[in-house]
Amino acid sequence: MIDSTQIETTAAYIRSRIDGFQPAIGMILGSGLGLLADEISHPIHIQYEDIPNFPVSTVAGHAGRLVFGELEGKNVMVMQGRFHYYEGYPIETLALPVRVMHLLGVKQLVVTNAAGGVNPKFSEGDLMLILDHINFGFNNPLMGSNLASFGPRFPDTSRAYSARLMEVARGVSRERNVLLQEGVYQFMTGPTYETPAEVRMARGLGADAVGMSTVPEVHAAAHCGMEVIGISYISNLAAGISGKALSHAEVVETIETIKEKLIHLMRGILRAM
Amino acid sequence: MMLSTQIAAATAYIQSRTKVRPSIGLILGSGLGALADEVKNPVLIDYQDIPHFPISTVEGHAGRLVIGELEGKMVVAMQGRFHYYEGYTMQQVTFPVRVFKALGVDIMIVTNACGGLKEFLYPGALMFITDHINFTGANPLIGPNENELGPRFPDMSNAYDKALIQLGKSVANGLGIETKEGIYTAVSGPYYFSRAELSMVRGFGSDTIGMSTVPETIVAVHSGMRVLGISCITDMAIPENLVPLEHAHVVATANETRPKFIKLMKGIVKQIEAI
Repeated sequence: MIDSTQIETTAAYIRSRIDGFQPAIGMILGSGLGLLADEISHPIHIQYEDIPNFPVSTVAGHAGRLVFGELEGKNVMVMQGRFHYYEGYPIETLALPVRVMHLLGVKQLVVTNAAGGVNPKFSEGDLMLILDHINFGFNNPLMGSNLASFGPRFPDTSRAYSARLMEVARGVSRERNVLLQEGVYQFMTGPTYETPAEVRMARGLGADAVGMSTVPEVHAAAHCGMEVIGISYISNLAAGISGKALSHAEVVETIETIKEKLIHLMRGILRAM
Repeated sequence: MMLSTQIAAATAYIQSRTKVRPSIGLILGSGLGALADEVKNPVLIDYQDIPHFPISTVEGHAGRLVIGELEGKMVVAMQGRFHYYEGYTMQQVTFPVRVFKALGVDIMIVTNACGGLKEFLYPGALMFITDHINFTGANPLIGPNENELGPRFPDMSNAYDKALIQLGKSVANGLGIETKEGIYTAVSGPYYFSRAELSMVRGFGSDTIGMSTVPETIVAVHSGMRVLGISCITDMAIPENLVPLEHAHVVATANETRPKFIKLMKGIVKQIEAI
């Protein structure tokens, strides 16, 4: 169990490294989107391994550092590389960075992820505004003693994703002419890709996309009252939708092809926030 | 300790006990353990003697590997398996499958006893598993991935080998055994599900429900093995028409079904090189 004192220690260490910088927006970047953090001006980097209580990211293609600085005129704090439940971390570990963001003064969180398309109307490479989520992880980071200084015992997640920020995203998608699908994201533990039967189940439950991240972090953000916006990028159609086998290599390839429009949209959203 | 180190230790021990190099691995569910008694010139290795093997606790499950010849094929059979509900970790439950692979197995046949959720099934029916739903909340691959054992993100879109299902069906036809096909959902157990929960699982699109098989299949796919899954429907779990369920009843149905199940399994093992 990571207690409030440990989270304070983590935040204090980071404060000691950022020289009075005040982040307002937190960003968690999904697979392949890490390079957005490279576009931050006057960046301050802190490696995860240097941060007390932070775990070290294990998955290939995920760097592991916090980046502080200015992007589109906003003071941001970016996780370049995230932690996943399937890596074997206790789920509360996934809440730690969000809670640290909260202590550092972050009020808004932007989460992104690569996801499998379950809605048959989606195409590979589509971007999706997350309207809501389904936690199919059988677990959540708020179990255990409630950290009352962060939020209530029973947080409402019926508005976990901010309707106001959704409107902002829709506006940017129109202005910048980037198609933005909308839908429900379902969290699965992974690391196996879903079976076709699991994908049909997810569709039946009301999901439009499935993935292995985001929901634990959003639980932590909802707990401490952050305004959240989530964007998925459909890096593949989920099993049984297209009939072809899934491979991580192809997922990475697809992300390469959509990176530019995704970054274009993300920068626009940041600017408008 | 690295998983690969544990696998190597278990494999070395088993290979010190037999020169047989099995190519087919059998996981025998409730009531089907007797199939392993038909293995010729068997080498019997108790689980408790194998380094890093967990030890089976459930009633009616022996606990040993049987290695030898069955229908002309070299097989390794698990007589008694491990279940998540016994309190083992998912990694423990699937450790024998890792060892299968290290012993040279490339086809795994996994069997189970389960509940039927749809009217097309009946107690005593045999069903080829076409796909599964993992409703356990756990996954044996959670944790750091050891790349030499398999990929970080395995594709599960063809977990159950279509050619093996075709073979199974044609063997069954030849023997005059009726078989079905359907989707298997694994739940943690050990309690039998409530009506509302059964109804939910049926709503997921599942045809059957049980407490095993999915972890083993995930690891077999991760390791690059081909999988054939066969369920024996031991009870009907149709929520609108539910009778109180006892384990003794499940065992009785499994026992009644055993002769035809064994016949089918032997037929499949015999024919398996034809594909």
